[in-house]
Amino acid sequence: MGMDRRKFIKAAGMAGAGAFAIPYILPSGRLFAASGRQFAPHVVYVLFAGGVRQQESVLQRYLSDSQGLPWEGNIMYNLFNGQAPSNKIVYGTDQGNGAAGGTPIPQILSQTLQSQGTLFREVSSQSNGHFGGLNNLLQGSEVTTQGLKQKPLNPTIFEYLRRHGGYAATDMWFVGNGIANSIPLLNYSNHPEYGAKYGANFFAPSVTFGSLGFEHLSDAKVYHPENELDPIYRMKYFLDQSFSSIGNAGDSLGNTEEEKMRIKAFMKQTYERVAQNLIPQPPVTDSLDALTIGYACEVIREFKPALTVVNLNDVDGCHTDFTGYLRSLHRADHAVGHLWNYIQTQIPEMAANTILIASPECGRNLNHNPIKDSNDWYAYDHSDDNSSRVFTIMAGPNVPANLVMGSETNSIGLTSDNVLTIADILGIKQEVQSAGLVQSGSMSLFDRI
Amino acid sequence: MQIFRILIWLFSGSLLLSSCKKEIDPDRFEVNPVELYSSIGEKTKVKSREQYVSILYTNLFQQALSGNRLIEMIDCLESIGDKELGREVLISNFMNKPGVLLPSDSLMRANPEAFVSDTYERFFVREPSQAEISWFKNFIESNPQLTPELVYFAFALSNEYLYY
Repeated sequence: MGMDRRKFIKAAGMAGAGAFAIPYILPSGRLFAASGRQFAPHVVYVLFAGGVRQQESVLQRYLSDSQGLPWEGNIMYNLFNGQAPSNKIVYGTDQGNGAAGGTPIPQILSQTLQSQGTLFREVSSQSNGHFGGLNNLLQGSEVTTQGLKQKPLNPTIFEYLRRHGGYAATDMWFVGNGIANSIPLLNYSNHPEYGAKYGANFFAPSVTFGSLGFEHLSDAKVYHPENELDPIYRMKYFLDQSFSSIGNAGDSLGNTEEEKMRIKAFMKQTYERVAQNLIPQPPVTDSLDALTIGYACEVIREFKPALTVVNLNDVDGCHTDFTGYLRSLHRADHAVGHLWNYIQTQIPEMAANTILIASPECGRNLNHNPIKDSNDWYAYDHSDDNSSRVFTIMAGPNVPANLVMGSETNSIGLTSDNVLTIADILGIKQEVQSAGLVQSGSMSLFDRI
Repeated sequence: MQIFRILIWLFSGSLLLSSCKKEIDPDRFEVNPVELYSSIGEKTKVKSREQYVSILYTNLFQQALSGNRLIEMIDCLESIGDKELGREVLISNFMNKPGVLLPSDSLMRANPEAFVSDTYERFFVREPSQAEISWFKNFIESNPQLTPELVYFAFALSNEYLYY
């Protein structure tokens, strides 16, 4: 059965996506010939969402496996199939029946992502911490010497795609939910053969388009491209030439002048759209993750990137507040449902040819810590073996629908698989494997099906 | 401590160099005299983001930036992936603010050589070479729409300005 399915997927992928790309010249001058099929031209990758316990997510045990209370149910019903809890609802909004969090947020997707795609129920994360986990999701490897305030040591998926796939800087976007926890460091690595010139564009919208951005960035003067910007750049190039033997900034992503102008115009337009309340936020926006998703929609609408990575993190409040964790989990699900719905209904160029992948960077502990919240419920950190248990869900063209892989007692897949999976979707799996820097044992998830 | 000392040194240097060549009494103004770099090769260290922003602000506004606003601006830069683009956006915001001090166009065109020398000293803390003066003089004279603002912008965006 497995073999049949695999053959089917490969055949479908070959037929469905035009199979082989036409060779063309990369910016580096190297001839690029796509080594394999493309499953889809766009990937949206959600780093979900700050340390998620299997027990409250894919296992749908709500309060029964954390607080010793008998209520179970699915609070992530845009991602997973399953009935929502029927009692002790605390994760919703405060409107309606008067109880705090007592009104669940209505489901956005008429079909869950699970039914639209493939769910790997039990995946091993190679790290039980945030930065290690995020690095693993983006590098496809675990580097034990990776520092917390240090750029990734191995190339990120952005760099693989730009170097081996010939993508432009504005084809790669990373949208972070803030600038804390070294998140802004993750858009490229320090690897000598890759680095900034192959990096992804990045915004932390809560800052870039928040009050600080309005104060210090929104008033940027718009210079005439020919009469003003052109002489500025010509003078800069002259000055840089004089200094070229000494050094350079080393932090330019290689956006072309046209790309820079487009990004600046996007920023200007976004400030205006924020002021007019036009950012396509999810229906419920009382979380930073929801706001982040709204801006990710804005980036996707404008740039239609080949790869968009969105980092969500609110769930990590679980260190001290279990009720807040449930609310954040429910909202992260809501936000991802909105993101998928927005792509399918508002971006025709990407509607039928985008694959979404979501994985937590790490899980959370089996046993609680001593901190209790306002409901007298215990909080959870992430450091034990249970913190290495996560899920991966993907949906979109050429992803088998309604397929579940693995179970609580049968782990299938690694979080490092996601890099090879994205490389596979966009046609450069061979090149990434040949670079020899992904975690041993990692595979494209398509090869695990 | 070392960084703080360097900041003070550069700040006081930029004040000194931008002060219309008047004699300055160091004791009265509590600024330290500073020597210009004798060669471009003496610049071997990359400025931190804090140094870059505070020195840029001082160069353009001739006054110090408060600590709080400096931190806010650094956060803004952090929130943009392409740092070169981030610097460009920050500079163009500065250029739109009241209080930015720029030489007049007529001053630049009346004596391009002096303008170029002053600009090199202000931003790069060194004298330009004869070739650099010639290139800029020619560029200014052959671009009637060029303004001191655009020249300052290019210097602030240059790689050399990231070093000390």
